[in-house]
Amino acid sequence: MVVYNFRKIRVVPISKDFIDVGLSKTQRKTPTVVHKGYAIGRIRSFYMRKVKYTQQTFYDKLAQILEDFPNIAEMHPFYSDLLNVLYDKDHFKLALGQLAKAKTQINTIARDYLRLLKYGDSLYRCKQLKRAALGRMCTLMKRHNSSLAYLEQVRQHMSRLPSIDPSTRTLLIAGFPNVGKSSFINRVTRADLDVQPYAFTTKSLFVGHMDYKYLRWQVIDTPGILDKMLEDRNTIEMQSITALAHLRACVLFFIDPSETCGFTMAEQIKLFKSLVPLFVNKPVVLVANKTDLGWEAELGEEHKQAINDLVVDSETGSRDNESGRVADLFLKMSAQDEIGVMEVRNKACELLLKDRVESKVRNKKTQSVLGRLHVATPATVRQPHIPQSVLEQRAKMAEQNESMRDEEEDEDRTEAEDTPIRKLEKDVQWEYGGPGVYSSDWRKQYTLKDEDWRYDVIPEIVDGKNISDFVDPEIETKLEELEKEEEAREATVEMLVEDDHDLPDLDEEQMAKVKAIKEKKLMMKAKTVREKVKNRPTVSHAQRGKLQELSGKDLRSHLEDIGMDEEEVDEVSKNVLEAAGSRKRGRDEAEIPEELLLEEITRQRLDPSELQEGTRGTSGLQSSARRAEARAMKRKSQKIFKKTAKKGEGDRSIPTKKPKHLYSGKTGRGGTDRR
Amino acid sequence: MQERSAVTCQFEGSSEIGVFSCLTNTYCLVASGGSENFYSVFEAELADHIPVVRVSVSGTRIVGRMVAGNKNGLVLPDSVTDQEMQHMANSLPDTVRIVRCSDRLTALGNCIACNDYVALIHPDISKESEEVVADVLGVETIRHSIAGEPLVGTYSVFTNQGGIVHPECSIEDQDELSSLLQVPLVAGTVNRGSGLVGTGVVANDWSAFCGLDTTGMELEVIQSVLKLGSSQPSNILGEMRASIIESLAN
Repeated sequence: MVVYNFRKIRVVPISKDFIDVGLSKTQRKTPTVVHKGYAIGRIRSFYMRKVKYTQQTFYDKLAQILEDFPNIAEMHPFYSDLLNVLYDKDHFKLALGQLAKAKTQINTIARDYLRLLKYGDSLYRCKQLKRAALGRMCTLMKRHNSSLAYLEQVRQHMSRLPSIDPSTRTLLIAGFPNVGKSSFINRVTRADLDVQPYAFTTKSLFVGHMDYKYLRWQVIDTPGILDKMLEDRNTIEMQSITALAHLRACVLFFIDPSETCGFTMAEQIKLFKSLVPLFVNKPVVLVANKTDLGWEAELGEEHKQAINDLVVDSETGSRDNESGRVADLFLKMSAQDEIGVMEVRNKACELLLKDRVESKVRNKKTQSVLGRLHVATPATVRQPHIPQSVLEQRAKMAEQNESMRDEEEDEDRTEAEDTPIRKLEKDVQWEYGGPGVYSSDWRKQYTLKDEDWRYDVIPEIVDGKNISDFVDPEIETKLEELEKEEEAREATVEMLVEDDHDLPDLDEEQMAKVKAIKEKKLMMKAKTVREKVKNRPTVSHAQRGKLQELSGKDLRSHLEDIGMDEEEVDEVSKNVLEAAGSRKRGRDEAEIPEELLLEEITRQRLDPSELQEGTRGTSGLQSSARRAEARAMKRKSQKIFKKTAKKGEGDRSIPTKKPKHLYSGKTGRGGTDRR
Repeated sequence: MQERSAVTCQFEGSSEIGVFSCLTNTYCLVASGGSENFYSVFEAELADHIPVVRVSVSGTRIVGRMVAGNKNGLVLPDSVTDQEMQHMANSLPDTVRIVRCSDRLTALGNCIACNDYVALIHPDISKESEEVVADVLGVETIRHSIAGEPLVGTYSVFTNQGGIVHPECSIEDQDELSSLLQVPLVAGTVNRGSGLVGTGVVANDWSAFCGLDTTGMELEVIQSVLKLGSSQPSNILGEMRASIIESLAN
């Protein structure tokens, strides 16, 4: 379905603006610097680009204008006629046609001058050709100033047209001026039109919307129509005629039998009859307004008869265009006092709905929605499960409705008394700081055996298991049994103890013995640990042979050569030899006094790391002199770090990442890296 | 004062309320959102009669799509956590059995549509799960699809009183389903023309909730077929027929 939205049409500039925009855009978007020293090809392309760009800009803008305006021939007949009435179709078409022609002319100009520019032999000549091209384009646009100005006016007016959907459900209100058409639309929709006691208050079409039977309806108010020949009608009336002619709507023809509108009944009936050709295939309701003025009693017999003659016979239902018997219904109402307004609306809507549905059902396309108009009903029905409380509430509500109908004035009181308003979680939420702040209580409605259990904090889940997985319902009885068993066993043990005295208590001598045994055990354990411990240099079998070969003198002389003093040489050679012959060592170690061994064991227990540290610091150094030397070297090497307050080599922190002296001063293009 | 039967609401701007809630005749599960507004809509209507419980399923808020339940029981997907199950067990009436179902298809709300008597289930659900559903919910299970779509929970919603199916469900399918389920059915839409009725409507035998986008006519069809208030399914063929034709056919 086409949606008519004339608000999307963009502004049409007058020719001056059109030219200014085009030329300044060319100036901004194309290169501006050229020298006569350039190669001629470059100069030519420089100016050709300008010409081409201007042509493109003008062309695009014109094309956009032509695109924006609707094509009258392709529109819904209602809109094409309305535009014809309002803006004169010929004028409109002419303006658009001129712009279309200008569009092609601009192309021609550009083509011609580009051809000439190809043969431009100097900068000066190329420039003159460009000037001429742009000048001609501008002159052309200037000539179309009037078309542009007209189109802008049309655009402004069109954007203010009511958005009428010609294909939807529509009630169309027509009649003489001042018969109460706008009052009616104000009553049934929220259009809020101006109502004044003079003719032609409404000068154009107005649209309002309302809901009826779950559908949206469009109500169109038209300007009043006078009884004239079609040719004599003015623009305002012609809008009404256009709407009547082209919209497939229910026509509400308003008459004013009180004749306060300034037109006699005869004139009004004559107008109705003259409009009959426009009522073909449309439901028509004849509405007599202003019953509040009391015309019903005064209405003459001949007028009554005349009105009756306009209404279709309800039995035969046949229309007669000749005599003007086309109105489906005749209704009376008063827009002033709001009497019968809704009846008129409902009847009119029903008529139109019936008409539209009938035609739609005949249509083949409707077959697709038949699935939606089917209630598949089973042979039997299921019993619903509705809680008793709901049924009670319903009964109560029905009762209330009854009583309310009886005594309407007590409405508020009974309601307030009977239904205490429930405090919702939402209300609580707002009391406690609103959303985002309030945290709701999920446990509030737990239904547990004991209400105190609700907020128990014991974690219920352990290793993916609920605590109930571990609960034995017979735990009490089992415990009782166990206790009984225990008691029985204790009793038997007591009896045994009574029999056997020497088991628990020892005298002092025995205690000392036990202690001695324990200590011995401990010592033996420590010894095996010492023997097994690998934290000492081991000598392989191959090595061992060599060492034994070296024996006393070779080793000693070697050690003396590298500068050990005699005592140390003795010690080392002894150790080496011992290591080579393992048997000896076992005996030697056994000679360690037991007190010392015990002490060592306790020391080890206290701080094993200290012991290790001691060996690590000195191992691998031949003599105490070397050790001292190493210590001195270490101190010396640490000197630098201590001076710079660093932890050691690993401390690579840089206090200032970008020292000022490295980054100030002229460094040119950055060729120097002073770091 | 007229009895209000179908209520329209939104969950944090989404009209797909069936995703965030699950309503049965004995309890109502609601996802917890940033505020209590959604919960309070259900609370105001139902809390006098049945527990309205805030839950999460496997840490998600799409509770309505994850669980399947009726007045007898509640079937949860395998991914639901123990705490969540414990919370439901504590909050729901003791008559409601809560059971995990370890099926490949975990969005049970999409795969199962049920009332208190029958359940339509996704054709690919395993035999074991089918047995679990039949046992826990106390229903007869039927493997079926709706308009060729296996996601029965998404494309249909029905109570003991009536139901709505996807608008493209043919008349023959509707009749077949209706005779299987023994409830009146219509093909309808929610949320201004959406065919995902399972996510747009949650209903039980005496109340219904629809997405906020649902039009007046959709609401009326839903009320009529679910026999809420004073409406009856015959309304759809009677006074609403013209309006339906008028709005659907162009």
